[in-house]
Amino acid sequence: MGGYGDVQMIDENGVRADGRGPGDIRPITIETGVVPVADGSCRMTWGTNEAIVAVYGPMEAHPRKIQRQDRAVLDVAYNMAPFSTTDRMRPGFNRRSREVSKVTQDALESVVLLELYPRSKIRVSIEIVSAEAGTRCVGLTAASVALADAGIPMTDLVVSVASGKINDVVVCDLNKEEDNYGEADLPMGIMPNSGELVFLQMDGDLSQDEFKQAWKYNMDAAQEIHKLMVEALNGGDSQ
Amino acid sequence: MTIPIVPKLLRSHLSDLAERDARIDGRGRWEGRKLEVEHSILPRAEGSARVRMGDTIVLAGVKFQIMTPYPDRPNQGGLMCSAEVRPVAGRNWESGPPSPESIELGRVVDRGIRESGCIDVDSLCIIPGEKAWQVILDLFAISDDGNLFDAFALAGIAALRNATVPAERFEVGEDYPLSVSKTPIMCSYHKVGGRFVFDATAREELGGDERIHITLGDDNNVHSLQKGLKGIFSAGEFTEIMDNAIERTKKLRKIVDEL
Repeated sequence: MGGYGDVQMIDENGVRADGRGPGDIRPITIETGVVPVADGSCRMTWGTNEAIVAVYGPMEAHPRKIQRQDRAVLDVAYNMAPFSTTDRMRPGFNRRSREVSKVTQDALESVVLLELYPRSKIRVSIEIVSAEAGTRCVGLTAASVALADAGIPMTDLVVSVASGKINDVVVCDLNKEEDNYGEADLPMGIMPNSGELVFLQMDGDLSQDEFKQAWKYNMDAAQEIHKLMVEALNGGDSQ
Repeated sequence: MTIPIVPKLLRSHLSDLAERDARIDGRGRWEGRKLEVEHSILPRAEGSARVRMGDTIVLAGVKFQIMTPYPDRPNQGGLMCSAEVRPVAGRNWESGPPSPESIELGRVVDRGIRESGCIDVDSLCIIPGEKAWQVILDLFAISDDGNLFDAFALAGIAALRNATVPAERFEVGEDYPLSVSKTPIMCSYHKVGGRFVFDATAREELGGDERIHITLGDDNNVHSLQKGLKGIFSAGEFTEIMDNAIERTKKLRKIVDEL
């Protein structure tokens, strides 16, 4: 994290540059069935982030060497479209997208009941078509909705949200400027029904008290976002 | 792209339908699917469009970079067009380096737009010999239910026609709309059950033979042609689809121009 203290992003009353309070998240919309040819899909907008996730499978796992006799394999790919960022993103994998794909896969493997589909493959394609900040959280959250939309059994959905620190104040759900100039970032992947975690990263500088506050903000936001996910899956916004 | 096994049943079903002049989804031979075109839908792109034709959905995004003009053309900027069909768009599309299919898609769309002369490359010059704009059009498939070519071409021209040159961000003056003087339109025809049809679905593509892509400009001038896949066609068949393309592109051009 940069930690440029001279960029003022929150005032003395705790109002952030975009008008939010410290614990407020950006506006979120969730829609299912947005990739008609997929088995399950989800479009999630979160601030000016937009992720489109398609799930295919369970289907035949090939080549055969990737098959597992006792469970399905999950194939998760996170990618940013070339027009998703201010400066054009060159197409293709890079180290960042590989890491995000891996931790997202690790998170989803923790909730999907893979043992129900031995020798098969479930493919999860996460495409970020517009990036602001927190795209890995949007991608993971949307992926769990798309898996549910595909009817893949899971122990719980996953809500992913990040809190961080700007101008020495702990705030929830960093926007682009806050992410660029903030002092810390703590993204978590939460199972909303149990409060357990399947994904955790952090970078920056947080005291023990700040860390506890950021953790709490994420837990509270997860409950709020979970309601929107359930609503979308119950046909609220779905097509 | 992995080519799935083509069931003989599908091919013979498509042939039977063709004999009755019918199509698998009930459309007429020259009838397109329900079309929706939206523009300026991506916040990070300088121009963007979403096209939906039935269950085929694509995005187009325009970005700008500053380039050094080529030594032999010091007063010209550049246009680059690339297409990506990633695994999100269908179970047969795989990750990895661009497949020949997606490269063909990008190049055919690129030729139609470039050769129509709709973008005046001289107008993209900032400082002769030093700085010029490179316009990058990225085509991105969300859902492939056939005929990505027409969807990409339509989204591409719609995105370009609504693009803003981000001069302020690059500190070379004020933002201004990209000048796009023409509206090239592509129409694609697939041979299904022995005769050409317009706007094929994925199942028709799978059980069909060759395809022909025609891009026409405002004055019906031909700007790009491409024959793809295995198959033989006659001059008579080509005349028939060219006549159809002349009528069809007029209607589609009107939709894009009125966005």
